[in-house]
Amino acid sequence: MQFSYELKDSYAEVKSSGRLNMVAAPKLRELVSEVVAGGNSRIVVNLEETVFMDSSGLGALIGCLKAARQAGGDLRISGVQPQVKMVLELTNMDRVLAAYDSPEVAFSND
Amino acid sequence: MTEILAERSFRGLATPEAIESVHNHLDAIWADAAFVPDTDQMIFTTAVIETAANVVQHGRPIGDEPVELGVELTVSATRLQAKVSAFHAIEPIVPYDDAELPDEDSESGRGLALIKALVTTLIFERQDETNTWILSKDSRPES
Repeated sequence: MQFSYELKDSYAEVKSSGRLNMVAAPKLRELVSEVVAGGNSRIVVNLEETVFMDSSGLGALIGCLKAARQAGGDLRISGVQPQVKMVLELTNMDRVLAAYDSPEVAFSND
Repeated sequence: MTEILAERSFRGLATPEAIESVHNHLDAIWADAAFVPDTDQMIFTTAVIETAANVVQHGRPIGDEPVELGVELTVSATRLQAKVSAFHAIEPIVPYDDAELPDEDSESGRGLALIKALVTTLIFERQDETNTWILSKDSRPES
């Protein structure tokens, strides 16, 4: 699992690739905390290359969403693949974590 | 007796890294059993990883020996099965049939509900200081 981030004009894009499981989840939390602490609370997690997510990965996304909102921003996700979509739907979290086709459109209407 | 067409097994200390090994075994069994539809592979992989992660996260040792995780995977023509065990472990504190989804804000507690939504049957057994969850999913090759 690898994470990286890039600051764009109106948001920070966090790229996640591989398996978002209990090994990777703490690393995602850590990275997003850093990004938020740096003054960027509008975050898009790009999941285009995330082939798998379990409930600990989902928990990390929810924790990151809360951190972004507490800092006055929001966290949105993009490029959701079939397995991640299934986990979001079965846990009813697709209503909470807004999914967009691409990082560029996630904050385009704000 | 249904013929086993592919099988894999893992046993090791119940650490987060063990989850990666179990996932690699799942990827390998699907390579051996490519006739299993992609959707069934995805569903079953998710259920097995959730169950194994549950052992790593909540397994507590009963004595001096650390908790070990065991996973036995078998594929037959119509059924996928996994026996996920926690060796040298106390009985689970959370009853395995307690599978309510938590509040939206909660950052944990969705694993069991997810497992139940994914498998055809889930059986729990405890014997000789070992907790075993037997997951099975009906699966037939796409015609």
